[in-house]
Amino acid sequence: MSNFIIETNKLTKKFGSSKVVNNVNLQVKKGEIYGFLGPNGAGKTTSIRMLLGLARPTNGSVQIFGKDIKKERLSILKKVGSLVEYPSYYGHLTAYENLEAARLLLGATKPRIDEVLAIVRLTKDAKRPVKGFSLGMKQRLGIATALLGNPELLILDEPTNGLDPSGIIEIRELIKSMPKEHGITILISSHLLSEIDQMATQVGIITKGQMIFQDSILKLRAQSTSKIKLTVNDAEAAWKSLLTHGYRTDFNQNKLFIENGSDDNVAEIVKSLVQNNYSIYRVEEERKSLEEIFLELTGLEGGL
Amino acid sequence: MARVMVSEFLKIRRKMILFLILLGPMGVIGLEAVNFGVRYDWLTGVYKDDLWRGLIGEVSMLSILTILIGLTILTSMIATIEHQTNAWKQLLALPISKTQVFTGKALLTVLLLFVSCLLLAIGTIVLGLLLKFGTDIPFLYLIEMCFFPYLASLPFIAVQTWLAITMKNQAVPLMIGIVGAIVSMYSMNFPDWVPWKWPLLLNDWDMPVYSVLAGLAIGILLYFIGLLDFNRRDVK
Ligand SMILES: Nc1ncnc2c1ncn2[C@@H]1O[C@H](COP(=O)(O)OP(=O)(O)OP(=O)(O)O)[C@@H](O)[C@H]1O
Ligand SMILES: [Mg+2]
Repeated sequence: MSNFIIETNKLTKKFGSSKVVNNVNLQVKKGEIYGFLGPNGAGKTTSIRMLLGLARPTNGSVQIFGKDIKKERLSILKKVGSLVEYPSYYGHLTAYENLEAARLLLGATKPRIDEVLAIVRLTKDAKRPVKGFSLGMKQRLGIATALLGNPELLILDEPTNGLDPSGIIEIRELIKSMPKEHGITILISSHLLSEIDQMATQVGIITKGQMIFQDSILKLRAQSTSKIKLTVNDAEAAWKSLLTHGYRTDFNQNKLFIENGSDDNVAEIVKSLVQNNYSIYRVEEERKSLEEIFLELTGLEGGL
Repeated sequence: MARVMVSEFLKIRRKMILFLILLGPMGVIGLEAVNFGVRYDWLTGVYKDDLWRGLIGEVSMLSILTILIGLTILTSMIATIEHQTNAWKQLLALPISKTQVFTGKALLTVLLLFVSCLLLAIGTIVLGLLLKFGTDIPFLYLIEMCFFPYLASLPFIAVQTWLAITMKNQAVPLMIGIVGAIVSMYSMNFPDWVPWKWPLLLNDWDMPVYSVLAGLAIGILLYFIGLLDFNRRDVK
């Protein structure tokens, strides 16, 4: 048995001739919050559907808790809570009845319904038909349903979609608390890096159906190398002067950049500029944001 | 499976479904009440040998169309509960097999329609008593005429359940079901193997039970074919 809670092997899904999910090897360890990141249409939902056995892989396999989803779907799903895309609900039923309909199939206890309603703060609205709920309330009901069976694994597909900032923070805190308090493993998908950045311990980045990065969030952050930006009076002349003194910098947009310079290196360059009578207006550190790294990795320029 | 059925019954709360289950038999009995009320002398003349058989025959003629249209609407409404907010994905991500889900939907229609037929039988008795046809009720014939058309309609329950579940747009299953019901009304001269004729309980042997047996056999076969197809499909 492997020590992964979720492990896919060359998971592939074709619609017609296009490979929407292409050879994805997803690996999620116990107790992690795994951020499954990718732009719109990257194949996140399609992958998640295959994890839950809702869609059949064209190729490859899915193992959850070390068991094959094809063979042991029911025993796996007993311990998995999920929310796929926008929330599903029965509008004519109350929140309580919605949970009861799911509880019957999960074999959970009745008091558990009140517990999950309290967790997502819907206790007050439990007796109202869900069709009158706001999107955020529906989303919270979806999360309540996912939590109903005391799952060991939560699979949440864009759970903060359509929520206002306070709703997002609330859900985020809820998600962050779960591995600590209940030892739950969580896979959460999003197209927003900032969101994943605030929750996840592991990250998988998928684009055009392919997994292009999978490691800890710390490793992703480490890729955000810094540069020192120098603003001086005559940048081009300063750049040439530095070169003649044996210091290599980049000249760009009338600014000088020092890539990966050590503190001493930066100090020497500044000293050399001062000695050669250049006026230094600013010395700034420029850090590539995670967002930029994400865009670079996914090969998308601009607008996400 | 019991838990699945409890869940299914919970989900049809506050839908018009239970009202329809009442409306079907009430409508048939109501129309017959008007029929016998208006043409009392003439009809009691026609059926003077056996008034009860006459009434039951009239009721069952109306009930066949009602059953076929009723099952079309029922299967569609039951599937719509899941289609509306795309609840299939949430339902099937629960520890429940696709077979149980499909069977639950089909069984729900079977049970609800059974209740309708039971109400129809009770309503017929009440109407007969009100019409002062006496208490010499031919129960066996009554049960035959109320439940045989229903059993012979099982193939349609199977097909409509499959159509309603696999198609999000309910216009197609509704149209197929209603056209089928109308075809059935004009099917007395069709060959015996045509399923639309079975609910009429007419065949060359004059044995209504044969129509029922054909309905049961083909109904179960079509249920399995529908189930197989549903299991094969990706969840929407
Ligand atoms: N049933 C289907 N038939 C054909 N194409 C599909 C089907 N489902 C999804 N696709 C395509 O697969 C691609 C990936 O879709 P998917 O929903 O997995 O993306 P996603 O990463 O979840 O995106 P989003 O962030 O928008 O939710 C899309 O281009 C979509 O058009
Ligand atoms: Mg998606």
